[in-house]
Amino acid sequence: MARIYQVPSHTRLWLALAVVLCSIPQLVKGPLWQAGLLVLVILIRWLVDQQRLTLPGRIVRTLLLIGAVGLTFYSFGRLYGPEAGVALLVSLFALKYLEVVQQRDAYVVIVLGYFVCATALLFSQTPGMFLYVVLCMTVLTTCLVGINHSDTRASGLLHGKRAMVMTLQAIPLMVVLFLLVPRVAPLWNMQVGEDKARTGMSDSMSPGQISELSESAELAFRVDFQGDIPPRPQRYWRGLTLSHYDGRTWQQAVPQGQAESEYLYRRGNQKPVWYQQLESRRAAEQQRYRYQIIAEPTQRRWLFSLAVPFPLDEGMALAKDMRLVADQPVSQRFAYRVESVPAATDAISLDGQERQLMLSLPQESGRKARGLAQQWQLESHSAREIAQRALRHFREQPFHYTLRPPRLTADPVDDFLFRTRRGFCEHYASSFTFLMRAAGVPARVVVGYQGGEQNQLGTHLLVRQYDAHAWSEIWLEGQGWTRVDPTGAVAPERIELGLREALENSEDGRDVLDDLGLRRFSDGGLFAKVSQWVDYVDFRWQTWVLGYDSAFQSAFLEDLLGVVSPVRIAIALIVAVAMLMGLYALFLLWRTGNARLTLMEREYWRLHQRASERGRPLAVGLTPMQLSDAISEQWPQAAVAAENWAKYYQKLHYDPVSAPDKRQRRHLRSLRNRLYKLLD
Amino acid sequence: MQALDKALAQVGRVVLGKEEQLKLALTCMLANGHLLIEDLPGMGKTTLAHALARVFKLEYRRVQFTSDMLPADILGVSVFDPNTQQFSLREGPVFTQLLLADEINRATPKTQSALLEAMEERQVTLDGVTRPLPQPFFVVATQNPVDQAGTFVLPESQLDRFLMRISLGYPAPEVELQLLAGGDLREQVRELQSVINSEGLIKLSRVVGKVRASHELLDYVQRLLDTTRSDDRFVAGLSPRAGLGLLKAARAWALVSGRDYVLPEDVQAVWPSVAEHRLSARQGGSVAAITQSLLQSVPVIRR
Repeated sequence: MARIYQVPSHTRLWLALAVVLCSIPQLVKGPLWQAGLLVLVILIRWLVDQQRLTLPGRIVRTLLLIGAVGLTFYSFGRLYGPEAGVALLVSLFALKYLEVVQQRDAYVVIVLGYFVCATALLFSQTPGMFLYVVLCMTVLTTCLVGINHSDTRASGLLHGKRAMVMTLQAIPLMVVLFLLVPRVAPLWNMQVGEDKARTGMSDSMSPGQISELSESAELAFRVDFQGDIPPRPQRYWRGLTLSHYDGRTWQQAVPQGQAESEYLYRRGNQKPVWYQQLESRRAAEQQRYRYQIIAEPTQRRWLFSLAVPFPLDEGMALAKDMRLVADQPVSQRFAYRVESVPAATDAISLDGQERQLMLSLPQESGRKARGLAQQWQLESHSAREIAQRALRHFREQPFHYTLRPPRLTADPVDDFLFRTRRGFCEHYASSFTFLMRAAGVPARVVVGYQGGEQNQLGTHLLVRQYDAHAWSEIWLEGQGWTRVDPTGAVAPERIELGLREALENSEDGRDVLDDLGLRRFSDGGLFAKVSQWVDYVDFRWQTWVLGYDSAFQSAFLEDLLGVVSPVRIAIALIVAVAMLMGLYALFLLWRTGNARLTLMEREYWRLHQRASERGRPLAVGLTPMQLSDAISEQWPQAAVAAENWAKYYQKLHYDPVSAPDKRQRRHLRSLRNRLYKLLD
Repeated sequence: MQALDKALAQVGRVVLGKEEQLKLALTCMLANGHLLIEDLPGMGKTTLAHALARVFKLEYRRVQFTSDMLPADILGVSVFDPNTQQFSLREGPVFTQLLLADEINRATPKTQSALLEAMEERQVTLDGVTRPLPQPFFVVATQNPVDQAGTFVLPESQLDRFLMRISLGYPAPEVELQLLAGGDLREQVRELQSVINSEGLIKLSRVVGKVRASHELLDYVQRLLDTTRSDDRFVAGLSPRAGLGLLKAARAWALVSGRDYVLPEDVQAVWPSVAEHRLSARQGGSVAAITQSLLQSVPVIRR
């Protein structure tokens, strides 16, 4: 009898497949030796199944275990934490599969498999990964089905079909549970993938840095507008303001002696003066944009927004330089809602310490530039006029906009302004800001993204790395910080149309575009359409599934239930689950009860059931005549009626000259009804 | 079908009180199948075979199987005739219409399989010449279930060649009394009248194929077969050949019962004698009890 406790042969292949599928997400990102281990395990299993090898003994298995643990420690430097933990789990999973002998072991592997494939979602929550995990679970369920059919000769494909049906049946239940079960905040905060390098903004700017970014089509963030979308030339997504210049690199700086609580406003904290001014200005202003940004992980704390953002969600703070700062580094996709009031810039004041910072310049660099700026300062009456002169300078002198500027020598400012005159946005922003400061106008560099293209299927904007941009802000009395984009003076199409079009029109731009493969995003071919669809699905997944947090849920439940209380949620949950179960039950009843049996077959079972209910229970293996005999035995008065019924029944059912017609069936029914009256 | 009733009555005169077994034996012949009788010596096996041959006017031979028997002793042998300077075949006892193979399990497997092959093919090949056996051709083999010393038990694959296996058993007391009071059995058998000749028997077995079986009945037969395959208590289930045999036997039983369509009762009546010898039970279960219990548990009408 031991035979039937083994894993049946038609399930072994499924089990191997399940083990491989569950491990793949880890193998792709994990160290190479893990793939080697799995291949080894599969090979040994295969040889064992071919009976060319016996299962490895205890010593070999112990050595493999020690090896796996040791290599995990070697690769990750520890055995705990999400990455190392999952890697260890996957290795142990493979080793457990190696020692499957009995069904009991297979159950352990399968249950472990459900867990292993779910860990893949720790690292990636894309719709593709979700579908993949569902596939893994279906294959695991197939193994379960297979093991439980060990004694029949069912084929493996049949198990797969059954598992698929079970998975499909589970989906409505999953949706109900997803929507209704209350979401609690995570019990622990798992930081996953922190050390992963990504392309994106850095916290400083030096020549060549942003042009590097423009070579990537990777997604930076998505924006979903509620209502109006500002026109492209207004879409300056501010990320960082850079106020300190050392002659080559612009960096973030905070005026001396300012505490964080003065500089940052976090909801619920005490409101600093500048924020109170901003708030009253916000109330007075009509034009505003409301939107949600879904940021890709950057591992940084800064967030992107249009000028003068007001955060609508928790988890971030507003800085005095009109940008948003997240409480935690953005290590996973992060969605936040913002309201921007473009005109509110004039509500922010500039105090002495800050003004000093915004005018500071390194001593030794840009002597020629300083001379030019001082000349402008003498000839002009206002800061506005100085800025206009500077822009005119850029427009009228032979400056070129290019992705591949020549190298700058020791003094980048003078070298660029007076020798090469070819540069990308960071060159223009940097030199413009330098000129402004030299002319006595407080100025700073802002880095972020400009533009973003609209997905034609949805209403959201896509901002990619190649939209990265740098520009300047200058302080104008009465107007506050005012955006000035010197790149716009040199290459207006960069602002009006976007980087790609700007490069199309420039002299070396086409070659650059071809080199980068960026062109494929612009033509309206199949690739562009498919990528728009993929983006749309991903975006909706992000907003509707991953974005379904407790706030979203309570809003949804309010629409559904009115007042949200635990009792109401519980009732809704029970009702929904019961309704689903009822539907399944009805479906099963309809399939097994009605569709399968013919009228004649039901005729027999009705009498059988009636006789079993009234008298002693009868065996199922009774021929019609034997049923009649059993009835006559218990109810002698019904003997004749029973025999009449049985004779007529067997003639109709077993004499296949013609199928019984309606009249004959009615007669049979009347015989049965006559018989019913005699059974009591 | 009065002829069949008359034939039964005739055989019943010498094999007393065994109506059920007689009917099964007759059914087996109509279904063109071979019969295995498992019984102790002296229970009337020979009398039954002889009486059947007599009633159907069949040519009858009897072979007592022994362990030193060779295939040639049954099939026949080529002999050189000095007069004609040629080989000629001397036919063995198998060239007959009804062969009683007594104690078949005493012969060596080689001899057994020579006979069983002839049973299946209904022809004999000797020295490369194939000769058909007479029509009709029936084998009634007997086996002693108790005395197993020095015997070669027929393997299940060989048992499958027999459509049915029956056993006669001891007679009931009053029947035995009647038997004791009667005269010489051999004499009585010789006095039996033939009811149908062999041509008539062939015609009747053609009629068996025309007995109607409804789709619902075939479904019942199929479910019965299927249950033997999924039931853990058996080592292996019934083969499709066994299924065809079961249906044919049920048709013949319906014909003997005077009906031109098959009822589930017919299937149940032949079920033990068709199924039992083809099945073996795991770990000392009783095949007879399990096969009988299947009739109770398999629904006659689909549910």
